[in-house]
Amino acid sequence: MEEIAKALSEIEVKALQALNANAKLSENDIAEKASMNIDSVRRALAWLKEKGLANVYEKEVSIYELTEKGKDVVERGLPEERLIFALKKLGGKAKIADILKEGSLSNEELNVALGKARRYNLAAFNENKELELTGLEELILKKELAEQKLVERIKQHGLENIEDCKAVNEFLKRGLIERRSKIIMQAEINERGKQALKIALQAGRRVYNLAVEVPPIYIGKKQPYARFLDEIRRKLIVMGFKEMESPLIVQEFYNFDVLFQPQNHPAREWASTFRLKKPKYGSLPAKKVVNAVKAAHENGAGTGSRGWRYKWSIKQAKRLMPAAHGTAHSARQLIKGIEVPGKYFSLARCYRPDKPDKTHLMEFNQLEGIIAAELNFKHLLGVLKQFAEEIAGAEKVRFYPDYYPFTEPSVQLSAKHPELGWIEFGGAGLFRPEMLEPLGIECNVLAWGLGIDRLAMFKLGIEDMRELFSSDLEWLRKEPLVVL
Amino acid sequence: MPTIEISKKDLEKLLGKKLSEEELKEKAALFVKGEIEAIENDAIKIELKDTTRPDLWSVEGIARELAGLYGIQKGLPKFKVYKSNVCVQVDPKLKGIRPKGAYAIAKGIKVTERLLEQLIQLQEKLCETFGRKRREVAIGIFDYDKVEGNLRYYAAKPETEFVPLGFSEKMSLKEILAKHPKGIEYGKLLEGKQRFPLLVDSNNEVLSMPPIINSEYSGKVTTETKNLFVDVTGFDQELINMALEIVCAALHDRGARIESVTVNYGEEKIVTPEFKARKIKVPLKLIERTIGESIAANKLKRFIEMKRMNCTLKKNCIIAEYPSYRADVLHPIDVVEDVLIAMDYNSITPEAVKLPCTGSELAERKTCNAVREVCIGMQLQEVLTFTLTSKEKQQAKMLLPEQEFVELENPLSGEYAVFRKSIVPELLDFLAKNKHCEYPQKIFEVGKVVHLNEKKETKVDERNVVCIALSGKEAGFNEIKAHLDALCKALSWRYEIKRAEHSSFKSGFCAMIKIGEKLGVIGEINENVLKNFGLKMPVAVLEVEL
Repeated sequence: MEEIAKALSEIEVKALQALNANAKLSENDIAEKASMNIDSVRRALAWLKEKGLANVYEKEVSIYELTEKGKDVVERGLPEERLIFALKKLGGKAKIADILKEGSLSNEELNVALGKARRYNLAAFNENKELELTGLEELILKKELAEQKLVERIKQHGLENIEDCKAVNEFLKRGLIERRSKIIMQAEINERGKQALKIALQAGRRVYNLAVEVPPIYIGKKQPYARFLDEIRRKLIVMGFKEMESPLIVQEFYNFDVLFQPQNHPAREWASTFRLKKPKYGSLPAKKVVNAVKAAHENGAGTGSRGWRYKWSIKQAKRLMPAAHGTAHSARQLIKGIEVPGKYFSLARCYRPDKPDKTHLMEFNQLEGIIAAELNFKHLLGVLKQFAEEIAGAEKVRFYPDYYPFTEPSVQLSAKHPELGWIEFGGAGLFRPEMLEPLGIECNVLAWGLGIDRLAMFKLGIEDMRELFSSDLEWLRKEPLVVL
Repeated sequence: MPTIEISKKDLEKLLGKKLSEEELKEKAALFVKGEIEAIENDAIKIELKDTTRPDLWSVEGIARELAGLYGIQKGLPKFKVYKSNVCVQVDPKLKGIRPKGAYAIAKGIKVTERLLEQLIQLQEKLCETFGRKRREVAIGIFDYDKVEGNLRYYAAKPETEFVPLGFSEKMSLKEILAKHPKGIEYGKLLEGKQRFPLLVDSNNEVLSMPPIINSEYSGKVTTETKNLFVDVTGFDQELINMALEIVCAALHDRGARIESVTVNYGEEKIVTPEFKARKIKVPLKLIERTIGESIAANKLKRFIEMKRMNCTLKKNCIIAEYPSYRADVLHPIDVVEDVLIAMDYNSITPEAVKLPCTGSELAERKTCNAVREVCIGMQLQEVLTFTLTSKEKQQAKMLLPEQEFVELENPLSGEYAVFRKSIVPELLDFLAKNKHCEYPQKIFEVGKVVHLNEKKETKVDERNVVCIALSGKEAGFNEIKAHLDALCKALSWRYEIKRAEHSSFKSGFCAMIKIGEKLGVIGEINENVLKNFGLKMPVAVLEVEL
């Protein structure tokens, strides 16, 4: 008892106080006496009932509402009123047509009004087929009819507690009001309640009821995929990588040419990558760089390579496109200048003309990285292994020979994830001499591009890649944070 | 990256060795940069990743390479070529149309269904991928027993007629381009030409109209065929010679006697196929620098021979001799990769990288993240939308006048055809998809918008913006201004707002934001825009550059 009493909430105490001073009260009465809103009263009563501190009853009551017709009557008066007033105005007798006009009555209203007039003997037809007042119309002019009184009451006090009025049944019949029934709560305090209230008031300070259901709070939070990308970015920074600029729009020059990808390469074709219609062409860096890249393509630029042996077009190199891979940003960084040794990364938005479905997106993110230092293939494998372990949580890795136009040797990384099994995690290699030497870079550059979207899907527990950019607010609100 | 289908039995027969599935997947495939996509009974589906090694795009090529891995053969593959007296006269008028040809005869071959399948597959992959959809390389294979004497490759008049493969009636070259399925498919390669390439024999019987279609007469090869004639055309002699040699090598490995053909360009005469190996000098230093260790000379020689090259050891370098069809060998580094593949990537011990580098993020990232932090502090839910969107959403639904966008040339659909200039429409669209969710809804996105800008290197300006949208009964100017105020105070930014009119916003409830140089807009979205997005609840938004 002691425990229950001390854990009473503020609204329960207020409700008990209101009940303590009175006999049985309805929920509305309690709300009024205790200055509470009705929802709080209902909640308090439910709790008090459960704790056995009040006897709570449910009672069915009628509530009334005006119909459209009823609203019209409240506004313009009863049809019988309007009939009599019109007749009076027309000099006590008149033709039906004139009355209809004067009182702006519909035919239906006229019928009702004539019925009433006959019943109370207010007016009657004379030999000229005119309606004529009988002299008893005073009753209506002074607003003494029960119907008139009810309309007046509704105007003044609304529809509450009208069930005792005389004309209610008639109004229901005439379709001016409607009746619905509703359950309301009534309550009275019992002995236990009185005792508990006493303890609660004496104790002064209450303790919290731990079992109370609390309303939900929608906290502000990061989009889960954005948060995943933030975490990856943080890991890379911790690993000593500097973030590279990664624009959405690049010149083909960076996306392909610097990467020693010949201009007639199938991967440069229409269906594999997007192009811009507007704007079409961008500008290129210093002539020296452009010419060196051109020479590499055409004849190997003295790097000991045969080159691709075709005529390189500067116009095509200027063509603008949404970046198709993160390596475009590495290419730009190499031209902009790098520190040696240097580690760089970008978590870049990339674009490919893939119809969005469960496993493809037109826009996705790629983790691109380079390390410029006197390092070799063994180090590349070392870096890839580290990534697989630290980012994907892989327990095993396997390397497959692969082909990219801009790396040689090239390798594909497969990682064995404890739950996902073997996944293709990305491609990597050492940038080709035909790419580096024209840019004046003398050391080796290890490079890789990792596909992280599949990992993100796994971490976030989603099966459809499109949900990485979820438009489901419910899911975003309720999805717990994922700690990588 | 072509994917080809081969028969396991066929491969094992050519190789002379049985291979378990495991062996195939984890060792053999790696040696040819292949990935086995499926093995069903005898059929192997393998993806070959190296787009510059078309010699591996047939079962014969794969078997030839694997013979090195399993020590069945080593070093440069040997191809014996016999001389024939056949000559192809090439018309100089083909210049600018399709000027180059390379030819060979393959005799005494048993054409089986399997060989036919492989031959057609190789031909198709060579033409489509390596030959850039027949532009650079088109291959025709003919029944040589139907070919008479010397041949002529010339620029023929459009009225010239012959019966194209798969048809029974004669058609003119012009008609073939207009009506024959292959003419329609590849006709653009001859677009605007007054004359078309034609290969005929000494009886003027047409073999082929490169790069479109063979003739029904001699261009039909079946299991009855005993001797073959191979025709490759294009623009670059080196490239078409490679393709010819790849086809001939496959036929050679099937037991054909390969005979060469003289190609007579008038002033210059060449003989194809040649199979003349190329040499490349690979400095030992490059090998050591790339692999990370020096490799004993005898081992190095063995690895290179495994990859079907000859190897001569010199003091500071090696000379690798490789088949002329190896299109991938451009630089000594390409030989180094072959050494690594022969060593087996997975037998190399990875080495950890220890470098004194400090990590950092972009300056713009710091601002974006600070803004995100404040937004989250204001109990807003972050959302992520695409940067590609529709003009409809960005302009029409927002009731904005016609304007220019950064636009894709080859969009897959109108839905993703332009880059967004504002995130507001994207967030309105987001809210429209969530009308069933509890209100109020408070969301934000920090991301890039893209505008045209002549002054920039890419002629576009990519700016980071923050966009906040509040929706619910209470959402209005007051509430959104409170968010702007809190955001700016949290970041010590001074902001100004100035009354403005904007066709997406309610008149009198819209203002321009200025934070230093950065601009933005704030206000209540008007009824018509809400209706366009199918929204019923009021929405107040702000968007400002960062």
